Amino acid sequence: MPRYAMALDLERCTGCHACSVACKVENQVPLGNFRTKVYYYDEGRFPQTRRLFLPVVCMQCADAPCLRACPNKAISRGNDLIVRIDQNACRGNGACEDACPYGAIYVDPQRNLADKCDFCSHRLEAGMEPACVETCPGGTIIFGDLNDPKSPISQFQATHRRELTVLKPEEKADPQVQYRGLTRELERKVPKGRNHDPRSYEIETWATLEASFDRPEGGSHE
Amino acid sequence: MSKQLQALEVNRRGALKVGIGALASLAVGETILLHPGEAAAQPARPPRRPNVRGTPKVPHNYKRARKITSVCLNCSTVCGIVGYVDNGKLIKIGGNPEDPNNGKMLCAKGQAGVVISTYPERLLYPLKRVGRRGQGTWRRITWEEAYADIAKRVRACIDAGHPEHVAIHIGRSRLADIMGRFLNAIGSPVLLNHRALCSLNKRAANYATIGDVDWESVDAERCKYLLNFGSNFYEAHQGAIHFLKRVIKGRYDNGCKLVTFDVRLSNTAGRSDEWHAPFPGTEGAVALALANTIVADGNFDRDFMTTWTNTTVDALSAFLKPYTPEWAEKLSGISAGDIRRIARAFIRERPRCAAFTNRGSHAHYNGFNNDRAVILLNALAGSINQPGGYCYAESAEIPDHLFPMPAPVPAAPKIRTDLEDPPEWPLANRWQKMRVGQIVYAYLKQKRARLQVYFTYTLASPTTWPEGRSLAVEVLRDEKLIPFHVCSDVVYSETAHYADLILPDATYLERWGLDARNNYELRTYATLRQPLVPPPAECVNFADVLIQVGKRLGPEVSRYFDFRNYEDFVRLRCRQLPKGDSADGFAYMKRHGVYHNTSEPRSYDLFKRPLTKAQLDGSRTDPQTGIISKRNARGVEEAIGITMNAQALRGFKTPSRKFEVHSQTVAQAAARVKIDDDGWPHYVPIPAHQNLPEDRFILTTFKWNVHTQGRTAPQKYLTEIVHDNPMWINAATARRLGIRTGDTVEVTTYRPRGRTFDPTGQRIGSARIRAFVTEGIHPRVFAVSNSLGHLFGGRSAAARRGPRAEGPGFDPKILSEDADLTTNLWWSQADGGKGAGFNVNAILPIQPAPITGMQAWFDTVCSIRKV
Ligand code: SF4
Ligand code: SF4
Ligand code: SF4
Repeated sequence: MPRYAMALDLERCTGCHACSVACKVENQVPLGNFRTKVYYYDEGRFPQTRRLFLPVVCMQCADAPCLRACPNKAISRGNDLIVRIDQNACRGNGACEDACPYGAIYVDPQRNLADKCDFCSHRLEAGMEPACVETCPGGTIIFGDLNDPKSPISQFQATHRRELTVLKPEEKADPQVQYRGLTRELERKVPKGRNHDPRSYEIETWATLEASFDRPEGGSHE
Repeated sequence: MSKQLQALEVNRRGALKVGIGALASLAVGETILLHPGEAAAQPARPPRRPNVRGTPKVPHNYKRARKITSVCLNCSTVCGIVGYVDNGKLIKIGGNPEDPNNGKMLCAKGQAGVVISTYPERLLYPLKRVGRRGQGTWRRITWEEAYADIAKRVRACIDAGHPEHVAIHIGRSRLADIMGRFLNAIGSPVLLNHRALCSLNKRAANYATIGDVDWESVDAERCKYLLNFGSNFYEAHQGAIHFLKRVIKGRYDNGCKLVTFDVRLSNTAGRSDEWHAPFPGTEGAVALALANTIVADGNFDRDFMTTWTNTTVDALSAFLKPYTPEWAEKLSGISAGDIRRIARAFIRERPRCAAFTNRGSHAHYNGFNNDRAVILLNALAGSINQPGGYCYAESAEIPDHLFPMPAPVPAAPKIRTDLEDPPEWPLANRWQKMRVGQIVYAYLKQKRARLQVYFTYTLASPTTWPEGRSLAVEVLRDEKLIPFHVCSDVVYSETAHYADLILPDATYLERWGLDARNNYELRTYATLRQPLVPPPAECVNFADVLIQVGKRLGPEVSRYFDFRNYEDFVRLRCRQLPKGDSADGFAYMKRHGVYHNTSEPRSYDLFKRPLTKAQLDGSRTDPQTGIISKRNARGVEEAIGITMNAQALRGFKTPSRKFEVHSQTVAQAAARVKIDDDGWPHYVPIPAHQNLPEDRFILTTFKWNVHTQGRTAPQKYLTEIVHDNPMWINAATARRLGIRTGDTVEVTTYRPRGRTFDPTGQRIGSARIRAFVTEGIHPRVFAVSNSLGHLFGGRSAAARRGPRAEGPGFDPKILSEDADLTTNLWWSQADGGKGAGFNVNAILPIQPAPITGMQAWFDTVCSIRKV
């Protein structure tokens, strides 16, 4: 049984959104909902301005708040270390979305099922990489089997072990996805208790650290 | 009466169907009204339904899916792709691991393209205009009627002795082989394009200086110092991710530094080791000052400069003398200290360093010389075609010797017209036919050229052209100026709206074609685009339209179209290709998607390669210059190399066979249009920017990493990321003007001055735009992105949530409805979303740069007022 893990080497990220779009096509994710999302943050004063990116996936928490919250016991963590939702047991009540500290779960409005990143399990079964890993032009997303010392993730961990960190350690969810080169304040852009806010894509949010945004007047959407 | 009301009027009389939704059931002879408002009433998003059993999703089945190679066309980068097709449905696109440029990697656009072939708003049948042009009423006709109608009108032009009254006007088509053949066969030279709106100056600068290619392949993986003048390759460079992935390796695996000059904090600038924001159009001044420092310091590749350039160190040093860092600081705002420091850091790494450009540097009045000055830095570094340097392969095009045109090949016509070869810009067509596309509508209006039949293909001139919604639309509407307009398109676009005949096109996922660009592995290569799925309903690749029309134009034209279809034509072009592991060359291309000769050495030192015996056979050498020349296949004497130290070498493909710092070609072209130019890459001040009053600013535009001009907005996953484009204003400037993010401002633009089109400096137009205040832009510059502000193109593009506007008989068997568009589309303005953004091109003036004709996109002077 492989033990899958992922790390994101942020200096290589180009903010290109390919991971996020590849994921939406791969997993038929409805507009307005996200398994994977890329945040932007502009810091500094002109002309000393820099842009930072933060791609976010499901952290495959070892002590997953979503798993604990589900009244239907639809969420489990496999021996391959992937946290999965059982579509047949899920009843769409969204307790998992409310519990997740990383905005990683949404309830599909048409299917009435919770959904989240499962490292593209169906692709792994077919001997392929997760969709985001395959397409990433920066080689930002490092993935593989921890049991295999030659896998990209094992090698990356061996080289960079001391530089790796996780998002929001204070949530004590024991995330299995790690980051290299994380600027702490960007964590604040990642919402807690709701799926990623689509409006946090908008350009006006690039210089703020907020996680969600009010819908302007006139909305009849929700 | 509004269009909708009109439609209802006619509908009561039973003659008219309304909306894209009705297309599927439109019978031949029936009429339909198409309009931009492609969404009806808006149901609310369904609320959460706890404790209700859901509808499981079936994951993609990759064990069952068929893999087909092809090539992306969601931008100009030419990435090899693999399509996964399951049960006749395209489920996913990935990169083609065999492609030398991108391998398995694709950008967001490449990933998102999957949705375009099933976009519910697609055109499905040929439509003929009824009523006024631009009214939006259409009758479905058969392809036979369409072909016959087109053929009759083209034939009439030929018979009248005016084949040049037939024009094809394209955006990025990648069908040049068949379009060229069609026009040559009928005798028209009028193949219009968009190169002058895109990359003309950059290409011209490479041609004038190096001669071999128009597009360099910087060897970034092995480079130590990259000096980037206005390329945003993290997001939108031509060849973007091919270059990007190598830069990332160079930077993070090899310690390469990246320094970017850009007026705006693009993703590239925002991730560079240093970002400098020069005043727009002063990139050339900075480059010359860098060169000045390097030459004054005396640390440069003296050997390359002496042997391989067409100037002496003394002459160069005299030319550079006035261009000091202090002089450049006054113009650009970049400090002399920084310029000296960067010059020295750059040259310290020679030859593993490269200076390169794109639109930020060249889309200016003076952009041609800006780019020539930047390329010069590579000569000083001796990095031309060296590992880690400024490299190029033998060709950046489909190699004709491997993919020859099927015989008989029609000869190019000898006539010229002002439309495709305007004499005011003598360098536009000097090296390749780059044209000056942005003056086409003006010249038609001025009657400097006449047209009878105007084909448009992948051309979004109303939205992507300067003065698009004003001049382009005015001329497109005018039946006298454009008597017959045939538009091939995928969706009911703004261009299609002003057509007489709409031909439903196959998307890039459904058609054939050969493609190539610069190969960063520096070898010969080409790719094959093949259908991943068949086009739906009656959609037909425009290449096949031309073949079908060609077959109907009588024997002297039809003999050039003696193949079944475009697939057949492409197969014939592959007939000489080595068959490798497949039955023949075509089968090889279909299996691998790419031809890449990995046994060929990389093209390092290409100019130093000795000429072969066969090449030298029958040649002669000019005793004065050492230039070796020979008659080519057409019997014309042509330079093929140069003698250096008694060796016959290939050299550069310039008139001197050397790297041309100074260019006689440029001096002569300038003289022809009475412009004073001594052929050196001088800094040319932009006339409209001189003595700019405090209350005037420069309006610039830019691209996003998720959009390509007008054509990606129908792709929902891209438009979900970017659908809105407020105007960037520097924070300090905004404070001074009392503007905050979200305020509406009125921006007014002015025409250019100097040697360009309509150089009056007069007001051109005003637009109201929302402001976005940021630390990421030069204080004197405002920026509005292109690619947005669509009124047409369906619900995703126009930001309208709701059911597809329905007529009777919506047929889900052809293109089924999409819950994302009916229900989930969250940026719909009616729901309080941001909407579809602004189209800024409407108020940008046509401004071709002198001598070359490149649109000076980033020079527009403007003023601003808070409203
Ligand atoms: S990140 Fe959220 S969805 Fe993923 S395992 Fe942790 S709690 Fe569950
Ligand atoms: S695909 Fe890679 S480079 Fe692009 S945004 Fe995602 S992590 Fe960053
Ligand atoms: S860079 Fe261009 S060609 Fe390559 S995947 Fe993206 S859109 Fe397609």
